[in-house]
Amino acid sequence: MSRAMETTPVLELRGVTKRFGGITACKDITFNVAKGQIMGLIGPNGAGKTTAFNLITGVYGLSEGAIVLEGKAITGKRPDLIVRQGIARTFQNIRLFRNLSVLDNVIIALDCHETYLLGASFLRLPIVVRREKAVREQAMAFLAAVGLEGKSAVRADAMPYGLQRKLEIARALALKPRLLLLDEPAAGMNPEESLDLARLIRKIHEDFKLTTLLIEHHMDVVMALCERIFVMNFGEKLAEGSAEEIQKDPDVLKAYLGEGFKRAQHPQS
Amino acid sequence: MWSYVSGVISLGLIYVIATVGLAVFTGFTGLFSLGHAAFFAIGAYTAAILTYFYGVNFYVALAMGGAAGGIVGLLIGYPTLKAKLRTDYFAIATLGFGEAIRVLLENLNITQGARGLPGIHTDTTLPVLLVVTSLVIWCAWNLIHSRHGRACIAIREDFVAAEMMGVNIFIGRLRSLVFSAFCAGLAGGLFAHYFGFIQPSMFTSYMSTQMTAAVVAGGMGSISGPVIATLIFIGIPEALRVANIWRLVAYGLLLVLIMIFRPQGLMGYRELSADMVKGWYRRIWKGGRA
Amino acid sequence: MFVQTLLTGLAIGGIYALMAVGYSLVFSILNFSNFAYGSIIMLGSYIAYFSMVKLGLPIGVAILFSILGAAVLCYLNERLAYSPLRKRRASSLFFMISAMGTAIFLENLVYAIVGAHFYAFPAVFTKSNITYHGVSIGVLDVFAIAFSFAAIYALHFFLQKSRTGIAIRAASYDIQVCGLNGVNDKHLIGLVFLLAGGLAGISGTFLGMKYIVYPTMGWITNKAYIAAVIGGLGSLPGAVVGGILLGVTETFVSAYVSSVVRDVFSFSLLVLLLMVMPTGLFGRFLEEKV
Repeated sequence: MSRAMETTPVLELRGVTKRFGGITACKDITFNVAKGQIMGLIGPNGAGKTTAFNLITGVYGLSEGAIVLEGKAITGKRPDLIVRQGIARTFQNIRLFRNLSVLDNVIIALDCHETYLLGASFLRLPIVVRREKAVREQAMAFLAAVGLEGKSAVRADAMPYGLQRKLEIARALALKPRLLLLDEPAAGMNPEESLDLARLIRKIHEDFKLTTLLIEHHMDVVMALCERIFVMNFGEKLAEGSAEEIQKDPDVLKAYLGEGFKRAQHPQS
Repeated sequence: MWSYVSGVISLGLIYVIATVGLAVFTGFTGLFSLGHAAFFAIGAYTAAILTYFYGVNFYVALAMGGAAGGIVGLLIGYPTLKAKLRTDYFAIATLGFGEAIRVLLENLNITQGARGLPGIHTDTTLPVLLVVTSLVIWCAWNLIHSRHGRACIAIREDFVAAEMMGVNIFIGRLRSLVFSAFCAGLAGGLFAHYFGFIQPSMFTSYMSTQMTAAVVAGGMGSISGPVIATLIFIGIPEALRVANIWRLVAYGLLLVLIMIFRPQGLMGYRELSADMVKGWYRRIWKGGRA
Repeated sequence: MFVQTLLTGLAIGGIYALMAVGYSLVFSILNFSNFAYGSIIMLGSYIAYFSMVKLGLPIGVAILFSILGAAVLCYLNERLAYSPLRKRRASSLFFMISAMGTAIFLENLVYAIVGAHFYAFPAVFTKSNITYHGVSIGVLDVFAIAFSFAAIYALHFFLQKSRTGIAIRAASYDIQVCGLNGVNDKHLIGLVFLLAGGLAGISGTFLGMKYIVYPTMGWITNKAYIAAVIGGLGSLPGAVVGGILLGVTETFVSAYVSSVVRDVFSFSLLVLLLMVMPTGLFGRFLEEKV
C-alpha cells in the first residue's frame, strides 16, 4: 500500500478551533490525511474527537481555522453539501433509519447521487423506473460487501448490534465518498467482534481504496489498521506519527495505551 | 338513496384528496400542521371567485385553486422552514397563519366577508372526483417511491442522519409542504363547486383536526391508511347519524389513544396490498394463519 | 388615553403572564409545548363559574376550587396522555398529537355536555371602576393584577427556597442528571403539572370574569405561547416579562390601529420572533429532543 507521496492530501485541517461559550472544545488542530491512507484519531473521552468530526462534516461551524477537502475549502458549508462533495460519516451511537428496512437505509444513501427531477418522480417517467431498479441493485451490492445481503428486508432496528454497525458502514460506503469518517465503529463490541470489524474495514479499504479517518478506543483495532495516528487531549494536539512512533511516545504511553498497548504488541491476524 | 350515498362518497373523496397531501406532510415528513384548513379555504375561494366572477373554466379554476394553495404554502413555508423551527414552534406558526387567513377572508371585499359566496356552479360530480382522487393518490404514491419521497421519510426518521446522507432538510420539507398545500387547495376548489356556497366559518380547525386525525389513525408512513381512515371518518357518522360535536370528542380521544396504544395507526408503514387482504381473509374465515 | 391603554394592557398582561409562566414551567422541564394547557385553563374557568352560580359559593372558594380542580386535571392529563409516551421515549411529534387530541377532546366534551352557551360571570367586581385623574381601571382588573403577581411571586418563592423547588429548577437544566442525583423525576413531573394546573385555574377564572366563559376560550393560550417566546422559552422571569409586554403592545395595537388586526399582530410577532430571535429575551432552549 503506497504511503502519502505526491498528491494533495484528501483532508486538511488548518488551525481548527471551536469554542462553545467559555469552553474550547478544539484548539488549533492541524493535520492532513493523505490519499488512500487510514488515519487514526485517538484520545480520551472529551478530547474533542467527535467535535472534530462534527466540524469536518459541517454540523458545527468553526470558530477559527479552515478545513479543506481535496484542495477545496469546505469551511462553513452546509452539511448536506459537504456530504455531496465526498465525505461520509458514521455515528458513535448508531443513527440508522430505524423503522426502515436494511435495504432502504442503503438506498437513501445512494439517492444522494441521483439526479432525476421532481416532476419525473410525480409522473413516474421511465427514467425513474430505470433508476429505481438500478439503485436497488447497487444497494444489494453494497450490502453484499459487508455481508448483509440476506437481511435486506429486515427492519433496521430489529438486527443485532454488530450487524447494525455493519449496516451503518454499508450506508456510508453507498455515499461513494472520497473520505470516510468512522466514529468509534467498534464501540460496544467484544475483542472478537472488534477484530472482525477491523478485518472488514481493512477489506473495504483495499477494495474501494477509500481514504479513512477513524476515531476508536479499541487500541488493537487502531494499531492494526492505522498507518498514521493523531492524538488529542483536552482539545489540543498531544502527538502525531506512525503507529510505531505513537506506541513508543512516552506522553501517549503515560496517558492512554495501557492495556490496549500490551495486546497490540502481539501479532494480529 | 343513491344520491345520498353518492353524496357521502363525494364528500369523502374531497377530503381524501386533502388528506393524502397532509399524509405526505405529516405522515411522511414528520411535520405537524394546525392550520391546513387555511390552504383548503384558499383553494376554495380562489376557484370559486374565478368561476363566479370571471367565468373561468371549471378545470382551469380547480388548477388555479391548487396552485394558489401551493404558492401560499411556499410563501409561508420559506421563512418558517428556513429558520429550522423545531416541530412545535412550527405547528404554532401554522396556527397563527390559519388565524391570519381567516381574518383575511372575513375582511376582503371580493370574498364578501363572513356572509360568504353563494351561487357557485356545482360542477363537482362523482366521476370528476373519482378521476381527480385517483390521480392525486397515484402522484403521491409515485412521490413516495422516488428519491424525493425517500428524502422526506429520512427527514422524519432522523433529520441529523438524513443530513449526513446528503439530504437538504429545508428543501425536502418545503417540497412536502407545497405539495400538501396544493392538494388541500385542489380539494378546496372541488369542495366549493360541490356545495355551491362557501363562507369562512366552514374552514375551521374542525377540518384541520379531522384531516390530522385521519393521517394519524390511518398510519404515518402510509397513503392507503389515511385514505381508508378518511372514508371511515366521513362514512360512519353519516351511517350512524351521529351529531357533529360528538364526532370531534371522538377524534380527540382517538388521537390520544392511538398515540398511546397504536402509534403506527391502522396501516403503520405499509400500504394496502392484495397479500394483506388475503391474509385478513384467511384469518377471519379460516381461523389462524395459513 | 395613553395611560388608560397602558393600564388596560397591564391588566391583561398580568393574566398572560400567569398563563405563560404555567406553560413555560412545563416546557422548561420536559422541553415540550403542552398544547392542551389552554383546555385546562378553560376548565378552570368553568369550575369557578359553576361553583359560584350552581353551588352559590363565594368567589374566594370558587377560585380555590378552580385552582384545585385545574391542578388535578392537569396532573391527570400528564399521567394519562403524556407519561406513557415519555416511557417509550416517543418523538416530540407524538407528544404534540397527544396534546392536540387532549385539547380537542376536552373542549368538545364541554361543548357537548354543557353546551355552547357563553356564560358570563356574576358581577362580583365587574361593574365597578376606580377613577383617578380621568383614568379608570376596573376593580376586577386591579384584583386580577394583584392576584396574578401574588401567585407568581409565591411560585418564585417556592422555586427559590424550598427543596422541591430547587429540584424543579435543577430538572429544568437536565432532568436525567437530576434523576441520577436521587430526585424522583416522576414525582417531580407530576408536581410541576399540578403547579401549572393551579396557575391555569387562576388565569382561567380571571379570564372568564374579565371576558366570557365558553368552550374554545382555551385557544387564548396561543397568547401564552407568544408571551413565553418573547420572554424566552424555559425562562420563568422571561414568561412574566413576555406576558406583560404582549398584553401592553397588543392593547396599544387594538386601541390605536384596530382590534381586528390585534390577533394578526400577535401571531405575526410570534412568527417573526421565532425566526429572528428564537431564544427570546432570556431563554435557553433551542434544541429539540431528537
